[in-house]
Amino acid sequence: MTWVGKSLQRKEDGRLIRGQGLFADDEHSDSMLHLYILRSPYAHARIASIDVSAAQALPGVACVLTGSDIKEQCVPYMQLGPAPCDKIVDLPLATDKVIFQGEPVAAVAADSAAIAMDAGLLIEVEYEMLDAVVDPEEALEDKILLHEAAATNRTYHDVFEYGEVDKAFSDAAHVVKINRLHFHRFASTPVENNACTAEWNQRGDLDFLCNNSFAGFSMQLLAPSLRLPVEKLRIRSYDIGGSFGVKIWNYVYMALAALASRKCGGRKVKWSETRTEHLQGSGHGNERTFLDTEVALDKDGVITAIKSRHIDDCGAYPRYEPLGCIIWAQVLPATYGVRNFRIDFTQTVTNKCPVVPNRGYSRMQHLWFMERIVDICAHELAIPADEMRLKNYIREFPYETPNGCIYDSGNYPAMLEKAKQMIDWDGWKQKQIEAREQGRLLGIGIGTTLDSGTNNFGQAQIMNPNLPFSGNSEVCIICLDLDGSVVVSLGTGPSGQGHETTTSQVVADELNIDPSMITVRTGFDSAWNAFSGHSGTYASQFAVSGLSAVYGACQKLKAQMRQLAGFMLKADAAELEFGVGEEGPQLSVKGTDKSINYWFMSNLVNSNNALLDDSLADVTLNVRHVYRPPFEVPDTEKKFGNLTLTYAAQLHIAVVEIDTDTCRPNILAYAAIDDCGKVINPQIVNGQVAGGTAHGIGAVLMESFDYDEVGNLLTATFSDYCPLTVMNMPDVQYGSIETPSPFSYNGAKGMGEGGGAPLHTLSAAIQDALYAEGIIVTDSHHSAPRVFERLRAPNREATVSVESRRVGAQ
Amino acid sequence: MYPAPFQYHRAKTVDEAVGLLAGIGEGARVLAGGQSLLAILKLRFDEPTDLVDIGRIANLDQIDDAGEVINIGALATHNRIGASAIAEAIPIVSDCANGIADNQVRNLGTIGGSVASGDPSCDWPTLLHTLDGEILCQGPDGARTLDINGFVEDLYQTALKPAEIITGLRFKKPAAGSGGAYCTFKRCAPAYPTIAVGVQLTIRNGQVDSSRIALGSAGLTPIRASAAEAELTGGSLGADEINKAAEAAVAAADPYDDRRGSAEFKRQLIATLTKRAIAIAQRRAGGETVKNSPEYY
Ligand SMILES: Cc1cc2nc3c(=O)[nH]c(=O)nc-3n(C[C@H](O)[C@H](O)[C@H](O)COP(=O)(O)OP(=O)(O)OC[C@H]3O[C@@H](n4cnc5c(N)ncnc54)[C@H](O)[C@@H]3O)c2cc1C
Repeated sequence: MTWVGKSLQRKEDGRLIRGQGLFADDEHSDSMLHLYILRSPYAHARIASIDVSAAQALPGVACVLTGSDIKEQCVPYMQLGPAPCDKIVDLPLATDKVIFQGEPVAAVAADSAAIAMDAGLLIEVEYEMLDAVVDPEEALEDKILLHEAAATNRTYHDVFEYGEVDKAFSDAAHVVKINRLHFHRFASTPVENNACTAEWNQRGDLDFLCNNSFAGFSMQLLAPSLRLPVEKLRIRSYDIGGSFGVKIWNYVYMALAALASRKCGGRKVKWSETRTEHLQGSGHGNERTFLDTEVALDKDGVITAIKSRHIDDCGAYPRYEPLGCIIWAQVLPATYGVRNFRIDFTQTVTNKCPVVPNRGYSRMQHLWFMERIVDICAHELAIPADEMRLKNYIREFPYETPNGCIYDSGNYPAMLEKAKQMIDWDGWKQKQIEAREQGRLLGIGIGTTLDSGTNNFGQAQIMNPNLPFSGNSEVCIICLDLDGSVVVSLGTGPSGQGHETTTSQVVADELNIDPSMITVRTGFDSAWNAFSGHSGTYASQFAVSGLSAVYGACQKLKAQMRQLAGFMLKADAAELEFGVGEEGPQLSVKGTDKSINYWFMSNLVNSNNALLDDSLADVTLNVRHVYRPPFEVPDTEKKFGNLTLTYAAQLHIAVVEIDTDTCRPNILAYAAIDDCGKVINPQIVNGQVAGGTAHGIGAVLMESFDYDEVGNLLTATFSDYCPLTVMNMPDVQYGSIETPSPFSYNGAKGMGEGGGAPLHTLSAAIQDALYAEGIIVTDSHHSAPRVFERLRAPNREATVSVESRRVGAQ
Repeated sequence: MYPAPFQYHRAKTVDEAVGLLAGIGEGARVLAGGQSLLAILKLRFDEPTDLVDIGRIANLDQIDDAGEVINIGALATHNRIGASAIAEAIPIVSDCANGIADNQVRNLGTIGGSVASGDPSCDWPTLLHTLDGEILCQGPDGARTLDINGFVEDLYQTALKPAEIITGLRFKKPAAGSGGAYCTFKRCAPAYPTIAVGVQLTIRNGQVDSSRIALGSAGLTPIRASAAEAELTGGSLGADEINKAAEAAVAAADPYDDRRGSAEFKRQLIATLTKRAIAIAQRRAGGETVKNSPEYY
């Protein structure tokens, strides 16, 4: 019996469905204090004065924090970027000025959340308004500065050049120019907002129950900011209601709960965001503008070179940025064999909510850009969308990209073929002809995307060579507990990805026992010591980083168990078999009735060790394994090196009809093909694929963070920022192919983020529907009101131009 | 997201509620299903001193369809109405009741609250315009009946007097040969409509005997599009008449730009939904069963 590859029911679901999950906000005690965070209503303003006296005087208020407390008690968070980022001061509360709407300016801890809010609203803040800048290009003019000490809004600029770009352009048969493309701002709003409880006791130990999803990293930034050794910080999570990367950065504000707890003599303090706070002030996905794009193609429509200028808008504080200025390069050529690139990449701050590494982080934006290019070129050169892809797809694997990334495996043409069959491509093509005759706007679009998993943190050094990060790792501890039960601890702290289940599957196969006999601890706890500085759930990596750690730990445990069993049973290690006997999990000697069960093995090591001799001194039955993928530090000068270990792929096809009356893009058919190599648990993979598809469709049709010109977020509630619900979800047909990765022990590739496939696919389908109307799809958001505007303002002439010449005919 | 402190009172009878409201005065608000009021309080758009909960007043949620006139108690929830015999008999009522928000809201929100809100995005006032409804009220000066026309005076303002509450709504059963449709276009279930259009047509021998057209979310109040009705009445629903009615509906509306879309976009939706609602109403008037639910973006 093997468990890997089966749709084992999720172990987590029993408790979650019964309401027995434990989320950060579920923690409750009567003596607990509740934190209210007062936030700036303005996007850019100087704080002239803060008067907290009325708040402090309200019965039930335990303490109030303002920027001046914070300045004394916190070291600004470490900035990842090179100069001038090092001049940026990022603290949990604004001190001298606010730079985005929703930025915390004060915090109140009180006996109840209601009292805390009442008190918060009694705080009088006097603001002096400053002009705000929300447009990234305008921000780069530096007329309005967010971080005056940095003297510029620009957080990053560099040129990524590979191959022979100028030569490719002079040899080109066609040059397609696209003057502007724009990837809009949205986020994958998790169901559970940010929350934590903090208790900073008088011995100086600080304990958090939280929903941070990248604890290994967060601890390294949070502890020094609070002037604590990491050892004094305990971070725990239990169930997390989704993160999608958004919860990587909640520690910035977890600090407030901690500081309030210390100020209140160590009482526990809970911070729990409301939805509007979450939408205004937690984290958005990166917004990106692509300017002056030029694409060189040969006479057959094969793309030979791309030049472009990209401006990434990271909102008010860089935080995880400017890492996103490099991360996109994991998928530089997308799924295409283009060898020559010149990408001029700039990032700027603006008076908007800071960005976070949201699902599909930075690669999705770039992949959308590449797909728009391929799609627009196909239309301009009258090459059918499927043929255009087939001409340009990478076909040989492993494939080294122009910037040194190694695509492990894949078969994009096979995915395209499968998706076409599934959706009935030929049938829809016929229906499209009929629809056009009737004046209906029906389009068919293809989106091919990549989900690069298990990243090499060395890429951070391309951005800032002084950063002390490279490689990647994950940790697993597996032990036989005092009673012989198998207990596994991980550093991943999942947020719905089913790690307890897939880990059990791997361990069950390795020990040849049933998954129900394995306990995988829920959540994260730094006290387990099962973490590294890379530990967390992010960047589509569990199936590789996490399960490789589990597999490695199993090998170490099995070696010890063989040694111990061999000694007790007087047998050779090679004669021993793992399995389940009458007394539970055991090792037995092949072909005999001699066996030793897990209870006795654990008993010998833990409570009965006079029976053992010195040869067994190293047998602890409690092993810790750190998985380290084989990475090197990239060449930071040339920006060259392998940035990610595995490349899962998705290919989606959508048929969309634009209702010419309501302007709603109706999805008539949708097929999604996934390739994440060896699938550990099909049901879990399907869940991830469905969720990623829903997030993408929601982003295209409904979800957009819209700011007005003074920096007010206009979509700050769920009735304005409408996240996709099941009512808006079309029927999606799912399929898969499997190209095992040669770089993971199990052939799996990291998956989960999904590469934003629906953004590429629906943009392409809408393009196909509207091309004949003189419209080029230049944006990633297509809500009905936006389509209405688009239909009334054809933009092809102003957006695209094609220069063609007959090559070789001179 | 917590309301400012307030005193809570639970009334057992209409008289008690009216008495409490009159006694407390300006700072008091009626609490029914709470689906509009609680959001307003939580966002601190309003900070009343007292809430008078009428939610437990007995028998105020009854639906009586025995006679020619249908009476709906103010406390009848959207879901109660949506699952009632009248929703089955009068499909436009089902369109409206079952299209409001999501189940959670429909389980608690009441028709009385919807009408009392004076919110142009609330569906019931628009529907009551379509069905020529009346509002039954009771206040310190006793009971009175108001016409739905003119009841919503301005944004969030109604003709209710201080301490007066709505006790019920009523409208005549549509005549035989009458059919209606209530069409909405909205971003998602828990969002208010971008535009709503209600149409009720009585058709005899292929001719429109009478028509009612009302618009929701199309201005500061619900709007009765009388000029659009006039385009249809007496005609036979030819394409030209329908287009003219749609144009007249657009002309009657006064939409504004917001996150749901620009005023121009909304005008296009008004024209579209008017035509769609007429088409469904026509088929229903002819005895056909037509499914109709909100269209989401
Ligand atoms: C997420 C969400 C989405 C929604 N979407 C829609 C939608 O698409 N369409 C729609 O129509 N509605 C929608 N609603 C509103 C919902 O229909 C409410 O139920 C309704 O507007 C108010 O009814 P209520 O019983 O909840 O009233 P309450 O919220 O209790 O009260 C609303 C107002 O009316 C007053 N009031 C209530 N009852 C009476 C009475 N009998 N006499 C006098 N005054 C009274 C109150 O004082 C208050 O001012 C939505 C609500 C939510 C939360």
